[in-house]
Amino acid sequence: MASTSTPVYDSAAPRRPIFDETRSLWSHRSLIRLLVGRDLTVRYKRSVLGVWWTLLNPLLTAAVMWLVFSQIFRRSSEDVPFIVYMLSGILLIATFFAQGVLAAGSSLMSSAGILSKLRVPGEVFAFTAAIAAMVNFAIGMVPLLLIMVLTGTPIPWTVVLTPIPAFAMLGLVTGVGMLIASAAVHFYDVLDFVRVILQLAIWLVPTFYPMDIIPEQFQIIVKLNPLYSYLQVFRGFVYRGEFAPSWNFIYMFGSAVIFLAAGVWIFSKSWRAMVVKL
Amino acid sequence: MAYQMARNRATTAKEYAINMLKRQVVYDELWALNDVTFDVKRGEVLGVIGANGAGKSTLMKVLAGVLHPTAGRVQVRGSLSPMIEVSGGMNNELTGRENIVMVGTLLGRPPKEMNNRIDAIGEWAGLTDFLGVPLRGYSTGMKARLGFAIATDVKPDVLLIDEVLSVGDEEFKGRSLKRIEYLMDGGTSVVMVSHALPMIEKLCEKAMWLDHGFVKATGPSQDVVVAYKASVKK
Repeated sequence: MASTSTPVYDSAAPRRPIFDETRSLWSHRSLIRLLVGRDLTVRYKRSVLGVWWTLLNPLLTAAVMWLVFSQIFRRSSEDVPFIVYMLSGILLIATFFAQGVLAAGSSLMSSAGILSKLRVPGEVFAFTAAIAAMVNFAIGMVPLLLIMVLTGTPIPWTVVLTPIPAFAMLGLVTGVGMLIASAAVHFYDVLDFVRVILQLAIWLVPTFYPMDIIPEQFQIIVKLNPLYSYLQVFRGFVYRGEFAPSWNFIYMFGSAVIFLAAGVWIFSKSWRAMVVKL
Repeated sequence: MAYQMARNRATTAKEYAINMLKRQVVYDELWALNDVTFDVKRGEVLGVIGANGAGKSTLMKVLAGVLHPTAGRVQVRGSLSPMIEVSGGMNNELTGRENIVMVGTLLGRPPKEMNNRIDAIGEWAGLTDFLGVPLRGYSTGMKARLGFAIATDVKPDVLLIDEVLSVGDEEFKGRSLKRIEYLMDGGTSVVMVSHALPMIEKLCEKAMWLDHGFVKATGPSQDVVVAYKASVKK
């Protein structure tokens, strides 16, 4: 039994945004592990295709894209088979970013049952969704590497550095996800908007198509998109065997930190108003 | 505790933008609870009664830390097990076993510990044969038994019960009362909401009558129940 002199719950306790969230995520790590594990078992255990299931949707899209684009562009703009180029883009942007942001954004609404009855910090659910997306991404690396081997593409040593853009992406997904989750509690159509915008985002960076089909003057628009930098860093490590230019790294880490900080901050400040609506 | 009720509630972003332009975003405040002040000492049992909509569930949610009080302060000293609604945090897609671990973790007990308690909890709830079945296949009574078993498995310092006991059959009611009494003997404080006035009189020393968010009466449970019944008869 706890000693009676230490309040365990005090509604008037001072709150420090970001600090409180970080601490609560750490103290709830076994819950996060449990939830992520449950998400994975549901996804993989009961399906025949297993690992390939997560990639099925993007793989089908990739197959269609490949049929269309490889007829127009006989040769990909790099010394890599087009399929590898596309899969790497799909894995990072469609699977990790898009699915992650959507899952994190809807995490509060999906867990409304729990959040309206038990005192559980909401950031646990948003973060769990982001982690689950990262784990799916990691699992998806296996078929990607496999296809590289099958197509005779050499795998450079830099591939072990892929956790770097992966963790940056985790920060970005968590931050953006929390922003969306905060809005989604108040307005029911936010998630629909987000789905559409994410589709757009997948097309605004060279996920499927080579960069050089974009006219020079518009390339700057693509480069302004932080996701472009993530792609460059990731592809650099996975098959180019090189470090992307420093501005990509700065942009990548910078956007991750900014969105993460903004997301957690807004989430923290609006939590009390949110919970009432769940 | 105040809820903000928009007079013409915009539930989509499009509507909200339009309303803002038309300067029609007006909020009324619905004070679900007003000046509700009380304390519950260790081992005390407080009953909360009142008509539907009086604010009892809101009170429980504020005590559980789910809702943050608009004004005022809540202090809970010790571990707290809330039972707000039968399904208290359980997920229909998971099996009984998985739910035991999950709710236990949500209540602050690590999965390792919960794994050892699965059998004991299942046995007390009388659901040993059903632990491998997804919760979807459980009846309301079964869910109540499981939820109650999980929440009372460890000896919480504070137990909150929101109208959960009315769902089970006689046998369950008997066993859950026994468990509550066992916890009370061990020093657990209990706050319980119920419409079953005889049970409130029997179990609770103190009772509080909530009416439209205000405390109409508090005191020895017998007196409060009498006062409440009298007002209903009118």
